Amino acid sequence: MKRSLLLLAVLLLSVPALAQEQVLQISGANFRPVPMAVAPPSSAGAEAAAKSFDEALRFDLAVLGIFQMLDPKGFLADANEGLDASAIRFSRWSDVGAESLVKTVVSQQGETLKVEARVYDVGSAKQVQRFVEEGHVNTPRRLAHRVADAIYTHYTREPGPFSTGRITYTRQNGRNRSVWVADWDGSHAQVAASSGLDILPDLSIDGTVAFTSYRSGNPSLWILPKGGKAQRISNGSRTTTGAAWSPDGKRIAYAQAKGEGTQIFVANADGSGAQQITDTAAFINTSPAWSPDGKRIAFVSNRFGNPQIFVMNADGSGVQRLTYQGKYNQTPAWSPRGDTIAFTARDERNAFDVFLIDVGTRKVTRLTQGQGNNEEPTFSPNGRLVMFTSTRSGSSQLWVSTLDGNTQHRLPMKAGVYLAPAWSRVR
Amino acid sequence: MTALSPIDYSLLQPRKSRISAFVVISVVLHVVVAGAGLWLSKQERTPRIDLDAKPIKASLVRLGKERDETFLPRKEPKPPPPPKEVKAPEPTPVAATEPVPVPKPAAIPIPTPEAKPEPAPQPVKGEKTGEARRNDLFAAFDRTAEAAPDEELEGAADGDPLGDSAVQEGERYYGMLTAQIKRNYSLPDTLSEQERLYLKALIRIKIGRAGQLLDATLVKASENPQFDNAVLAAVKRTAPFSPPPEHLVAQLEDRGVPMEFGP
Repeated sequence: MKRSLLLLAVLLLSVPALAQEQVLQISGANFRPVPMAVAPPSSAGAEAAAKSFDEALRFDLAVLGIFQMLDPKGFLADANEGLDASAIRFSRWSDVGAESLVKTVVSQQGETLKVEARVYDVGSAKQVQRFVEEGHVNTPRRLAHRVADAIYTHYTREPGPFSTGRITYTRQNGRNRSVWVADWDGSHAQVAASSGLDILPDLSIDGTVAFTSYRSGNPSLWILPKGGKAQRISNGSRTTTGAAWSPDGKRIAYAQAKGEGTQIFVANADGSGAQQITDTAAFINTSPAWSPDGKRIAFVSNRFGNPQIFVMNADGSGVQRLTYQGKYNQTPAWSPRGDTIAFTARDERNAFDVFLIDVGTRKVTRLTQGQGNNEEPTFSPNGRLVMFTSTRSGSSQLWVSTLDGNTQHRLPMKAGVYLAPAWSRVR
Repeated sequence: MTALSPIDYSLLQPRKSRISAFVVISVVLHVVVAGAGLWLSKQERTPRIDLDAKPIKASLVRLGKERDETFLPRKEPKPPPPPKEVKAPEPTPVAATEPVPVPKPAAIPIPTPEAKPEPAPQPVKGEKTGEARRNDLFAAFDRTAEAAPDEELEGAADGDPLGDSAVQEGERYYGMLTAQIKRNYSLPDTLSEQERLYLKALIRIKIGRAGQLLDATLVKASENPQFDNAVLAAVKRTAPFSPPPEHLVAQLEDRGVPMEFGP
């Protein structure tokens, strides 16, 4: 009796289960960039600034690779369409394929440039974000970087790469090489060192530039504090190259010739307390690059015959070889996200290209291929972009790429030969 | 036993012969063999050749040498870009008083260079020219392409070959629905890697008898409105769907079907 009751209960309970609806599961979406229209800014008496702002904003958003920037030539909306949702004819924007619309107003009050930017979702005809930025009238591109970062953060919930960092690089002029510091896109460039041969710069979080200079004969290490005077921090009798600031800016790693080989040293920011952390007498150890937590250092060593990328703890212990593919791997740069190291490698066709290696899995992926020589990678402060030099358009220029290599742009800089970029977060 | 006389040896003497029996047997055997051959040839079916079937083309290629493991990786060549999606602009409303020739919806307007400009067509307010006209043309192509039955959706690999059971037909319909939506399901690159791991949205769609979308509502939103919008957009872009089988019509019209989307 009990058993049949139990059976009945089971049957009754299973009836609703049978009647329960089937939920269709759908996944495996195709990912695609968001079609974005950036309407030309409306400007009252600040046309030139508005133009610079517009160019910089478009460029920033384009290099991110997550937006498909629509050509303003195809826009159907009225050029004087207002900023408010009520004034916008969204159908005209959806007709050109836009899913996201950015509208801006640039205005000038005395020495102050003010930008109001609004982001709209075209499908729902709703405003999703509004930003107001102010700055000096001569810095429209900087305002654009801040707006671009805000838009990036709105969509991805991650910090943007543009307004928090600066770049330093070497510029070649005839036989001379000088060190420059600029905003991420090469604008607001200022010379930091130009005494003959000044090369291989790096920028610390507090804006101090470290570089290698031949000004006193032997290549030695110099630093230029922000607003200060250049000073040598290495022993002039030994060849010293390739300085790298630790992420907190308190230590500096560099390579110094010693005996038959070259060893890596770590010193305080002023060059004091130098400690040798590699010791392979007959071999070259060079190009140190700090991990974002400051606990490890990637470097190049030829201890197994040809240059390969290695990692070690910041005190020199726990050395591990990272790259096994390719016979000429150099210039490592550690992503601020910690998971990836970018490096230059010469492939079997003798072309120099930029590669990424996953520090955990050691999987190597290629960023550039078949377009000139591409070298000396450096990561954006948020680790989502890689800047490098490329000869694809003739002389060596600075280029920026997304991590998948699908979106690559040349920085809008004056003609010239640019080398060894380093992109750092600066307070 | 009688002794043979010399006459018996004479070649002129007629003798009893068995040749006729052999001839008869031979003829009968031949007839049997020929008959059997004829019968067998009738039994064997002629191979059916479907001239409409797509030929399978196979080309022989030399096997590539595996890439040396010590070499650096090379990038795969990019696949050709997907065809650009062209959205059909909304038809412009035309005043009833103006006699304007209304083109058939399925007709494809083909611009003919020989067409004489005279008599000049009445300029209609909002008449499409240039880009808009080109868009119309592409849209018409799109429509005709959509109307064609999709071969890939015919049956499922693990489906019932006869498909005569109502339940199976229902499941097959849902499978087809899923496949149709999936083809239009795209998400923005702006979704962070982290979010791609956990985002989920539950929606419910109601489908009419002819496969038209009656309603699509978000039952349980994800934490990201971009994701929710992309999911709803995928459903709307897919409509109209294939008409549902008869036994599902009432259910799909009244209650609809829930769908859970993940990235």
